Amino acid sequence: MNVFITGAAGGLGRAMAIECARRGCSLFLTDINADGLIQIKRGLERQFDINVTARPCDLTDSSSVDRLLAVTDQFGIRFDMLLNIAGIDVEGGFLTLEREQAAAIVTLNDAATLRMTHAILHRRRPGRHFSLIFVSSLASMFPMPLKATYAASKRFLLDFATALQRELKDQRVHVLTLCPGGMVTNDDVVEAIAAQGVWGRLTANPLETVARKTIDRALSQSGCYVPGISNRLLAAIGHMVPRSWIAALIYRRWHGAQQKWMTVKPGKSTVSDRTPAFCRVEH
Amino acid sequence: MTGATSGIGLETVRLLASRGYRVLGIGHRPDAILRAENDIQSSVPQASVRYFCADLLQQREILHLAGELTSDVETNSHGRLHALINNAGCARSRYMTTEDGIEHQFALNYLSGCLLTRELLPLLLKARGRVIMSCSQSHKGAKVHWNDLMLRRRYNPLTAYKQSKLCDILFAKALNDRYRSFGLTAYAVDPGLVNTDIGSKAGGIVKAVWRLRRRHGVHPRVPAKTYVFLCQEIPRPCGLYYHACRAQVPSREVTGEQAGRLLQLSERLCGISFEVPA
Repeated sequence: MNVFITGAAGGLGRAMAIECARRGCSLFLTDINADGLIQIKRGLERQFDINVTARPCDLTDSSSVDRLLAVTDQFGIRFDMLLNIAGIDVEGGFLTLEREQAAAIVTLNDAATLRMTHAILHRRRPGRHFSLIFVSSLASMFPMPLKATYAASKRFLLDFATALQRELKDQRVHVLTLCPGGMVTNDDVVEAIAAQGVWGRLTANPLETVARKTIDRALSQSGCYVPGISNRLLAAIGHMVPRSWIAALIYRRWHGAQQKWMTVKPGKSTVSDRTPAFCRVEH
Repeated sequence: MTGATSGIGLETVRLLASRGYRVLGIGHRPDAILRAENDIQSSVPQASVRYFCADLLQQREILHLAGELTSDVETNSHGRLHALINNAGCARSRYMTTEDGIEHQFALNYLSGCLLTRELLPLLLKARGRVIMSCSQSHKGAKVHWNDLMLRRRYNPLTAYKQSKLCDILFAKALNDRYRSFGLTAYAVDPGLVNTDIGSKAGGIVKAVWRLRRRHGVHPRVPAKTYVFLCQEIPRPCGLYYHACRAQVPSREVTGEQAGRLLQLSERLCGISFEVPA
């Protein structure tokens, strides 16, 4: 099975790559972090007896994507699965962000994801099931003050995936949307979860379990996957309570947690494999 | 000495420096290195200590560090490295991977020491040196999960920690089996319960439990004596596993067959080869 993974050099992307490698899949990996990409490619080849192709790419740049696709076309590679993992958030309220920072969130999380989805769907293996995975977020379930752009960009993915699922149902395409809470990918995230207190611990998901269950589900079904009982409960509450109430509640909680985190890590407004550590907590 | 900026590592560096050894210490945070350097210089003014900065979780940094260390030892010690103490370690409460896709505790507690030892092997063999792995009594009762070494199917942080410590002692045995006849000797040290920061970064239940346990731990200078004993004792001690300067019996899992299997697997994970000198 040939699997294409974006954002493969860090966090969830790396965990997904490892999970697919463990299942013996052939991998085509991309990330803007060229060094990290080389390391994970080498690491996977040493751990598992599989084919790994890795090419760095800026998914927000159409010509960079063209060069990436030229590689797949040159070798006539056809895919059975696409994992859209690459994403970004910048910590802080809307007006505290630079104008282009706010735009960049939507550009990568949505526009670039559409670009890759369109490209790889046209390069899927004919006559076989195709699994398409979008990484949305628990944040997509709620209006989120202080993370307004990020949450809205993830809501876009959730709605888009649901619509696309119906559109492609007769073409043997499974569309799965993953909506996780926080996932511990490095020491910074451990601290970020601690800054959120009980809520942070309750909504955090084990990375390796999310990766395994996501691939299991994507192979057999479409739909929306919210990992963890407490997260599913929160998502259900999100559908029942008036959205303005939820926004007020989240603002109260998030304001305190964000202040605490920014005080502990003043230089950490933007971190990660394109995703700030604190924001990855609410991936 | 890796993990040389705090806890057991810092105390061992201090003790070795006070006895006139030239010590190369490894840390991964520049601020911690600066603090350690000042600490050592103020307590041992005549100390000859040089610190290097590297994140041993990443294999590329280990390879870069090995190049720097080799250059230093070639220049200042005639290419002879008398002892390598692989002490850097961590405790985690969650599954995390390095950029090479290796689980953190396995990567730092064991594999980093394995790769660094391989890269410094020519210097160690030239000096008929000693390799010391920081182990733990907790390796008893642990097994190596050969079919799921990173415990991806069901991650238990404590199991991962114990397994990494078992790997340390297996590695020491594998080194002895392969290189003892060339003058190299390897040991594993159980420092006992020591009041260090190892669990404080873990988060979650591991951090909470460690906060309670560490209160009953001894000062890091106590196990430091065992490391120094194994570095300088002549004739060189002939045991494998030491606690409080005395040889102890390791787990029954520590066999030549398991040690060889681990070495083979480690060679694959690091892209290296432990060759026998001609």
